[in-house]
Order: sequence, then structure tokens, then C-alpha cells
Amino acid sequence: MTNDSDGLRTPLGRVRFLGAARNGTGEAWLMHVTSLALIPLTLYFVWLVLDLLHMDYNGVREELGRPIPAILLLAFIIAGIVHMELGMRSVIVDYIHGGSRAWALAANTCFCALLALACVYAALRVGFT
Amino acid sequence: MTTNDAAAGKRRSRPLSPHLGIYKLTMTMAMSIAHRISGGALYVGVLLLAWFLIAASADAAAFGVFSAFIESIIGRLILFGFTWALFHHLLGGIRHFLWDAGYGMDAPLRDQLAWATLIGGFALTIVVWAIGYAVR
Repeated sequence: MTNDSDGLRTPLGRVRFLGAARNGTGEAWLMHVTSLALIPLTLYFVWLVLDLLHMDYNGVREELGRPIPAILLLAFIIAGIVHMELGMRSVIVDYIHGGSRAWALAANTCFCALLALACVYAALRVGFT
Repeated sequence: MTTNDAAAGKRRSRPLSPHLGIYKLTMTMAMSIAHRISGGALYVGVLLLAWFLIAASADAAAFGVFSAFIESIIGRLILFGFTWALFHHLLGGIRHFLWDAGYGMDAPLRDQLAWATLIGGFALTIVVWAIGYAVR
């Protein structure tokens, strides 16, 4: 790697923006924590949906208004959407190169943030109205 | 050569690791791709959960529209696909945890785990849907 072709550029200048520095392990750690949390939360979510299947509008609202289903559903939403944001981020970094990568990463974050806000808002509104 | 490129202001293209095209397809590779596909499906599928929650938070009419969609043939197919993606991705994630812990990397076991992900994902989907129809 040592050559003079970069002229006066410093070693730091040559590697900057080429990949993870300092924050790479944080992303991997968050991915693992959310996936671990999602094992029981997903199983609970499936159980909750099976429970909601034979309920009407009022029954669904009553069930989602109870503390434990509401809290576990919120946990599933937040862990799930953080997890999918990180997952799509690694897919984008793998397959999209050049200038459109930054736009794709920004679009991914904005989409996930909006989706999380919508789900959390709606879930809380069911519980509190 | 490199000196000329640098002088012309060109960026040298950085080396990339070998990609899918040059390898023979193996079971673990197929399940790696399936993990990404199921993850991508869930990424879009969460919109269905958002719709459900927003409808439930709005009024009975909005909830009726969602219920009618999810009970239609297309709605059921989408929900079935969502269920499969959820279980496939869940089992794939557990397999990755085993690998991270250093288990199941050897030749026979890693393929068996990959098959278990594939078969288990379909099996759990069918079991949950059987329960779903039984409790109605």
C-alpha cells in the first residue's frame, strides 16, 4: 500500500470515508442486541396476532390497550425497525456504489424513522383514546 | 502507471472481494441470499403492521377497510408470505448466532443448519396458519 502516488495526502486523508472507523462495532453490536431481543418479541407478536384474529374492532382496541400487549408490541416495533434499518443499510453498502449510496442511506433512515413514528403513534393512540 | 493516474486526478478503483457469480451455489449461500430476501420482504411488510395499527387507532370504518383487505385472497397471500419471511429470518438469525458463538461451522453441520432454516421456516408458517384457522 505504501506508494507516493497520493503525493502530499496524509494517511488519514487516504482512508477517510472509505469505511468504518470507530462506529463500525457499534452498528454490529446494535444489530446483535436487536436480533436477540427480537427472538422472544417475534414469538410474542405471532401469539398476539393469533389472539387478535378472532376479535372485532372493539376487541382489538381493548387488547392493545392493555399494558403488557402494548409494551411488548412497542418493543417489537422499535427493536424491529432499528434492526431493519441496520439490515437495509448493510444491503445498500454492499450493492450501491458512488454518489447514489448516500441518498439511499438517507432515504432508508428517513423511511424507517417515519415508519417507527407512525407505528408508535398509532399504538399509543389505541391505548390512550 | 499509478503515478500517471494520480497525476491525471483519477481515483484508482479499490479491490472488491469476489462476488456471487464466480462461486458454485451451496446450501449456506442459498440461505444467505434467502436471509436477505426475507429481510427485504419484512422491510416492506412492516407497512402492513403500520396500516393495521393506524386503522385500529382511527375508527371502525378504517379498521373495516383493513380487515376486508387482509381477509381477501390477496391479503391472505401477503400475510402468508409475511409469516414465512418472519420465521425464515428468525431461524436464519438464530443460525447466525450459533455461528457467531463458534458452533456449527463444520461441513456437515453447517449444511444441516441451513436445511433446518429452510424446512423450519415453512413448517412453523404452516403450524401457525393451522392454529390461526383452528381458533377462528
